[in-house]
Parts: sequence; structure tokens; C-alpha cells
Amino acid sequence: MSCQGRIGELGTRPSPTPTADGAVADSASDVFDPSLPAYAPGELTFPRLTNTQYRNATVDLFGPGLAPVELEADTNPFLFTTIGASRATLSARGVQQYERAALSLTETVFADSARRQALLGCTPTAVTDACVRTFFERFGRQAFRRPLDTEELDRFVSVARATTNAGDVWTGLRYAVATILQSPSFLYRVELGEEVGGRRKYTSYEMASRLAFTLWASLPDQALLDAAGRNALSTDDQVRVEAERMMRSPRARAGVRSFFVQYLGLSALDNLSRDVADFPRISATMGASMRQEIELLVEDMIFTQDTDFRQLFSARQTFVNSELAGLYGIPYPAGASGFVRVALPESSQRGGLLTTGAILSLTSHQNASSPTARGRFVVERLRCEPVPDPPGNIQFDLAQPTSGPRLTLRERLARHRANPACAACHEITDPLGLGFENFDALGALRTTEEGAAIDASGVIDGTPFVGARALSAALANDPRVARCLIRQTWRYAQGRLDAEGEQRGLIQLTQRFGEQGYRFKLLLVDLVSSEGFRFAAPPTP
Amino acid sequence: MSAVSAASLCSPPRTVRTVPFFAPELSWIAPMNKLALSRRTMLRGVAATGLATVGLPVLEAMLSRTGEAFADGTTPPKRYGVFFWGNGYGWSGRGHADTWTPTGSPSAWTPSEQLAPLAQNTSRVPSVSVITGLEPKTEIPASPGGQGDGHMRGVTNALSADRPRPAGFYHPDHIFALSRPTLDQVIARHPMFVGAMPTRFRSLELSVSNNRFHDYGSWTCISYNGEESQNLPIRSVDALFQHLFGVPVMGSREPGDRVSVLDAVRADAARLRTRLGAADRMRLDAHLEHIGEIQRNLRASAPMCTSPMRPTRAGGFDPDPSNEPLEDKLMAMMQLLAVALQCDLTRVFSMMFTAPGSQTIFRAVGAPSGLHQMCHENRQDIAKSTAIYTMRCFKRVLDLFANTMDIGGRSLLDNMVMLATSEFSAGDQHVVEEFPVLLAGGGGGTLRGGVHYRQAGGNLARVHLTILRALGLPYASYGFNGAETSEPIAEVLV
Repeated sequence: MSCQGRIGELGTRPSPTPTADGAVADSASDVFDPSLPAYAPGELTFPRLTNTQYRNATVDLFGPGLAPVELEADTNPFLFTTIGASRATLSARGVQQYERAALSLTETVFADSARRQALLGCTPTAVTDACVRTFFERFGRQAFRRPLDTEELDRFVSVARATTNAGDVWTGLRYAVATILQSPSFLYRVELGEEVGGRRKYTSYEMASRLAFTLWASLPDQALLDAAGRNALSTDDQVRVEAERMMRSPRARAGVRSFFVQYLGLSALDNLSRDVADFPRISATMGASMRQEIELLVEDMIFTQDTDFRQLFSARQTFVNSELAGLYGIPYPAGASGFVRVALPESSQRGGLLTTGAILSLTSHQNASSPTARGRFVVERLRCEPVPDPPGNIQFDLAQPTSGPRLTLRERLARHRANPACAACHEITDPLGLGFENFDALGALRTTEEGAAIDASGVIDGTPFVGARALSAALANDPRVARCLIRQTWRYAQGRLDAEGEQRGLIQLTQRFGEQGYRFKLLLVDLVSSEGFRFAAPPTP
Repeated sequence: MSAVSAASLCSPPRTVRTVPFFAPELSWIAPMNKLALSRRTMLRGVAATGLATVGLPVLEAMLSRTGEAFADGTTPPKRYGVFFWGNGYGWSGRGHADTWTPTGSPSAWTPSEQLAPLAQNTSRVPSVSVITGLEPKTEIPASPGGQGDGHMRGVTNALSADRPRPAGFYHPDHIFALSRPTLDQVIARHPMFVGAMPTRFRSLELSVSNNRFHDYGSWTCISYNGEESQNLPIRSVDALFQHLFGVPVMGSREPGDRVSVLDAVRADAARLRTRLGAADRMRLDAHLEHIGEIQRNLRASAPMCTSPMRPTRAGGFDPDPSNEPLEDKLMAMMQLLAVALQCDLTRVFSMMFTAPGSQTIFRAVGAPSGLHQMCHENRQDIAKSTAIYTMRCFKRVLDLFANTMDIGGRSLLDNMVMLATSEFSAGDQHVVEEFPVLLAGGGGGTLRGGVHYRQAGGNLARVHLTILRALGLPYASYGFNGAETSEPIAEVLV
């Protein structure tokens, strides 16, 4: 088996032309390509809440401070748990875990007289008290993201009645709330739309749910549900108004964080393992520290600075705690604790996302840097261009020669690329990845290898460069990177792969992204108010 | 020193740690030679004696004089278990001698270097049968590309006697899925295996190492109910303990209240169900089916199971992904499992010792880096010593089951069929020929044990058919998409 595959089959599409139904006509430009398929909405999905969404939702419902519950792990095909949540079937144990979670959360909440009082807003003496029904109306509307009907209200009241023990109405209420937490209307996103001209249009309440889970990774708030109640999430302008408000909320940070953790694969840092003999700076907390640095960098760029997304590649500052400062070889301010913002000296080879410990470690082997994996990250993850997978019978032909002088990894990779079967793919990845060679497998700076000074030169798109900062600068200006980011954001938001018929919409978003100064908050607002997010194709019966 | 050096790539490991193969005993040991009474046994006792509570004399009364069957003449239940390890064994060829395949005659064979641990101290243990030479026979569709990769093709064949599902297969990101239930679930759902009274848990899925090749899907799981429906393993000792023994206090209101709650949940789902497309309706139906199982367990009497103490270990069982206490964690989980099997809480289990494409760092054998990478760096020595270590761990599991008394006076292992396997043979080139297959247990009198069966180029699915037959499930044939076979391995069956 040799290297195969098409390069550029993703992410390099030309822009679309206006469609027959005028779906994207209003911003159509002369670069639209008539060969693109006509606009068609993507398929309807029925995702369950991801674990992040579930946890955030329970905080919204009960307030903070509850012990974490254990849930069935999400799967993340094509990077995103939102995609896994649209596909996976829950196991028997997963359902048991939902039951246990509901019982344990409600036990804690209802054992605490202040908390339960706050939740109910009254002190009921019997299940028949008016305030009980009012509570179910309010709580149920938030949990289900829509008003409850009479049958549902009756059902929850009757659960409370059946489980009220010796007149203790709180017990009954606890079990009724546990019912709501286990209902499919809470655990799954019931966004099935209404038939409009052969398509499904999401209702205003369903749009409230979609906006909240996408932008906040949690439930809608009161204002959003009120807007839905006025049917005021029915047009793109109406959705835009709410989305802009939501992006101003501190809760938007959770949604953005959730996207970037998945896009960049940061959860793999939870199991970061290195041999301490080779990497004395490895620690049980190092992976978590690296992850937090990225989260802080991204949030700073998007929310605090609200600036051009592409600066993520060239930032001259970052956030470190003491172990990251040690890894990076920069001073950690005396008297500080936790993460602090630090400026990177102009002389430093470090700067931007690609030189963080997180990305450098994630693209390394356990015992060695991998220019191939680092190059592949640039091509696949940042440009959305596939690199063919190595054949299964791969031999890492990177061993030191048995005689003669020892070679650097660069020298050994060159031998490797001399093999025509390997070169086809490695010519794509290695010239990019070699630019990171002055960072080791944990992301620490190194200046020599095998006694030779590190050569961090590479080639990007035919142009030579030296070092990761130069590479990052080139990527910041690469239109494929912005286009790829949008494609990945779309997949995250929709919980499925982008469909052929959606490419016109993606190109339109890309154009707007550039016109608006590459500001990620505005991109999200555009995305959620776009036609492709408000309509879907009906499900296969 | 730099990250890449001759030492880390070519020569014997320089950081050999002196971790004993057999770690000091854990801080708790359940008295496994004592019989914990099962719910089933208790119900039989109730039926036989009319008593609501059962004491030891009644237990003895329930056994036949030979101690091999219940008083009502039925035999103890059979169990099925899987022990899976990732990334193969120490391969032969390409300059290496064969240290896996046994030598000698089929019934009087000499264990190979890598299998030697299995031959230690077998006095009470039905001997393991070793099956060599088999390989996957499934067809490999041309498109999408990469479906022949040994990781994906090997693991799906080993677990389901089928190939990876072509739809949605995406080799560049290693995204693959199974298209049918794995053998453990075929067995766990078979009416003849389940019988009239299902156990509390249809099956248990466990895993030891937290190092995974990928975070998603089939790289984290070896038990499937079907497409996109996994039984993810329990990965923590505490979670397993809670899952098995965290049952409500009987006689309280709690079980009845929970049943009421779940009735309301089902009612809530009923109307939604009709609005979904076919695929999503099936997902919701599976969810509702599992709710029904919880209710059934709540309505049934609690198992009369002596809960062991919660296992503990200084530093915990998951202290550091770079240095996992694999053996301690394995044995803690398996001791809990042995109690669960003894109590008839379940009859089917799978233990994913390490994940497919194992990135586990075997410190115990001096590995500096994860096994998958070691293999691609041509470190056959590490692959071999890892296999020996893994076989020693597997043998400890077998010894545990052999020393756990089952209903009827025999050991758990006597009444068990246990498959130990991996995803391929040689990790350096993802070779699926010469698949590793070990069959352990007595199968309740159906497995011969102690046989080396070899069929070079034989069909791996024969192992599945053999297991089904050993469990008394009358399959005429098994295997899919080119792997069909109607020939069980008669040589290992009684």
C-alpha cells in the first residue's frame, strides 16, 4: 500500500453563485462558481446533550456548587462531541448513569433547605399547592426549552404525589424534578422544525435551544425563552439580535471554549504522558496547564480584545502558570499565583498558538518531536486539506545509522523522504513541520540536537522560511485557514458534517468573516442567523 | 539530553525500572473461596423452602449431594468473558525467531517464550488452549480506502467476525465503526443464554489502561450492540464498585419511587417517539429499553451478594498516565468482577486491558514510550516483553477465577469460556496473519483445554463459532462478508 489520496478536496472550493431560490443571493459576488451544487439544507439531527452541555445545564437549573456527576463519555468523530451526540446510541450503563445523576443532583438540592426554597420560590405544604404547578411550569420550560403542556404538568404533579412520603412534599418534588432530568425532552435536543415548503423550519423555541447550546453550551435564559414565546426568533434579523446579545454575555465564553477544546483536540492533554528521564518537566498537571493556556489565549483574543482572529497565530503574549513559565524558560512574576499574562520578548522564538506547549506536545510522539505530525496538523487541522494516512505497514525508518556519525532527526527524515513511496505524503507535511524543530516533544526550546545546532528552516507553499514564528505569520495570512475555521465551526454548531448543498453558505460566511475583520464573535452571529442554521431537510421517515 | 537519541530508538532501554511483575497484594482481598449467594440461588431457595430469608443451611440444602448441581437438577450458568490487549505480540520474521507459537504435538505441546506464563502452576486451572495460524477472511472493499489496515480490520474481525462498516469509514482520521454486535453482545442477548431470568447486568465492560490511540469511538471500546451503539468500558475501580454494589436499601421506598419516576419518563418519551425519523427512533427506543431494564431490576429482589470492601491503593489506581499501575488496577477490577460473577449479577464481561492501537507505556518491562510507537520503531524486544507481561497478567486473572468457587462446587473458571485476543499479530506492520487467540475455561464441561490447535491461514471466525458452540448456542455457521464458516474448532471442544 502506498500513499494515496487527493489533496485539496476539502476547503479549496471556489465561491458559489446565487442560487435559483435566492438563498445566498444577497451577498453573491462575482467570484461565485456556478459548478457548486444548488443550495440545500442539511439533514435534521436529534442529538443528546453532550456532557459539557448537560453539566452547564444543571448549573443553570440548580446553581453552582453541586458535585460533578459521572456520565457516559461522549464520542467525538470528526473532532466534535456534538457530532458524536447526534449519532451515538446510549448504552445501558449510560442510561443508568443518567438515572444516578438525576437522583444524586436532586438529593443534594432538596436536602438543602435554602437551595430548595430558592428553587421553588415558595414553601409548599402539599403537592396540590398552586405554587407547585407554577414551579413545574417555570422549571420545565427552562429544562425542556419550551412550555409544558397540560398533560406534562399533570404527569409531574402526579409523580410528586405518588412519591411524597408521609406528607413530606419535598420528597415528591425531588422525584418529580428527577423525572424532568431524565426525560428525553431534557436529555435530547428536540429540534424537529415545522414543514415549510418541503423544508423544516426551526420554531422559535427550537431556535432558542439551538442558539443556547451553540453559543453558550447550555440552556436558554429567560430572555431568550421570552423571545421565543413572542415568536421572535423566526427571521434572520430576529435571530441576529438575540445572538448579538448572547455573545455579549459572559456565558458565551463557555461555548467558545467548548468549540476550541474540541477543534484543537485539547482533551487529549488529559492523558499527556512522557518519560520523566527525558522530559524532567513533565508532571501530572502539565497537560491541564497547557490546556488552560490555550483557553485563556483564545478567550482573551475573542472576548477581551475582540480582535482579528488571525492574531492567535502571532500573539506576542501568552498566559502561564509557574510550571509553564518553567517549560518556556521565561520568568514567572514573584508573588504571583496561578495564570498570569506575560509578554514574550521580541527575541523569543515563541509566539502564538503553534508554539504553545499544548500544540507542540499534541503533535509529538511520546519520546520525540514529530515534524510529520506537526506539518500534518497545519495542513489538515488548520487548512482542512487531507493528508493521506500512512500505510499500515509503515516502518519508522528513522533509526540512527548503525555506524558512522549520529544524525539529526532532520537528516534522518531526509533519508526517509528519499523513498518515493513515502515522499508523496511527507513532501506535504515535513517541510512545514521541520520549522518547529527547535521545540522538543514537550514544547521546550532546544538549540542543539546530536551536538548540531538545530536547523528550523522549512518551506511553505514554495517559499522558504525559518522557525515557527515565520510559519505562523504565513498561516495568519493564508485564506485556507479562515475558511477551515468556518468549516469546523459549522460542524460543531450543526453536530454533523457539512453537506454539499451547504457549501455556498459556508463561502458566504467566509466572505463576511473577512469583511468584518476576522472577528470570531461576529462569525458566530452570522453563522447562527444564517439560513443553513435555521432550516433543515426533513428526516428519513 | 535531546528527545531523540539512539538509546530511545534502537538499543535496549536505559531506564529499566524495577517494578515487580507481581505487585504486592492489594490492601484488600475479598475471601474468594467463600461462596456469595446469588439472587437466582436465593429465589430457588425461596421456591424450594417457602422461606423469605435464606441462611447457610438452606444454601447447602440447595446443592445436590455431589455439589455439582442445584437441588432442582439444573446446572450452574455458563459465563463468557473477553480479555483484550492492544497492538499484538512480539512478532517473528524480519530477523526475529518465533517465540509465540507453541512447539510439540497438539496435546503435549511446549509453551513458547511469550506464552510461558500461562503454563505456570496450572494444578487447579483448566489449561488454556492456544490457537494459532488463523487470520481475518473478510473482504476488503476498495472504497473508501484504508479498510485493509490491520488495526481496524483486525479488531473488528476479532470482536465481531466482520469487517469495519464501509459507510462512514475514514482512514485519514482513523474513523471506523462496527456494523454488528460484538460476540459478547450476541451471547449476552441470546435468549438461550439469557434464560428465563436475566441477570442484573446484561454484561459488564471494563478497561484498565487510560492511554488510547484516539479519544473516539472504536479506539476506546471493544463491545458493541450494533452500529453507533457502544458499551463503553468502566474505566475506574471506584466506578465499577459503585456500579456493582451501590444498590438501594431493600425494604425502603426508594425502588418503588424510582420505578414511578421512570414510568413517567417513558410516558414523556412516547409522544416524541412518533415524531422522529427511523434512525433516531431506534436510538430513543434503545434508551427506553434500558430504562425498562432499570425498572425490572428495581422490581426484582436485590441480589444476595456480599459486598466486598471498596478496593484502595496508595496513590490511587489512576495516578499518572505515564506510569499506570496496570496490574494492580486489573486485579482490583477483576476481584470485584469475580464477586459479581459469583453472585450472578452478570454472566458476560469484557476486559480491555489496553486499547486497540495501544499507546500504553509498559514501565514494568522498561518501555520508554507507548507500545504502538515502540512497534513502529521496530522494537520487537519491547513488543515481546510486553506480551509476556500481558500473559502473566492474564494468568493471574485465570488463577483468580480458578480459585473462586461457583455455585455447585466448581470454580468460576470451570463454568466459563474466556477468549483472550488482540487486534493483530505484528504491530510493526499491522500484520493480521497468525492472529493471537487463547481460549480458557472449562465452558461447563464443553471445552477440552490444554490443546494447541494450528491451522495456518485458517479462518479467524472459527473461534467465534467454537465459542458459541461451547456455550451451547446452536449456531450452524458464523462470520460475515467473506468470513463465513460452519466449522468450529472441534479439537478444543469436548
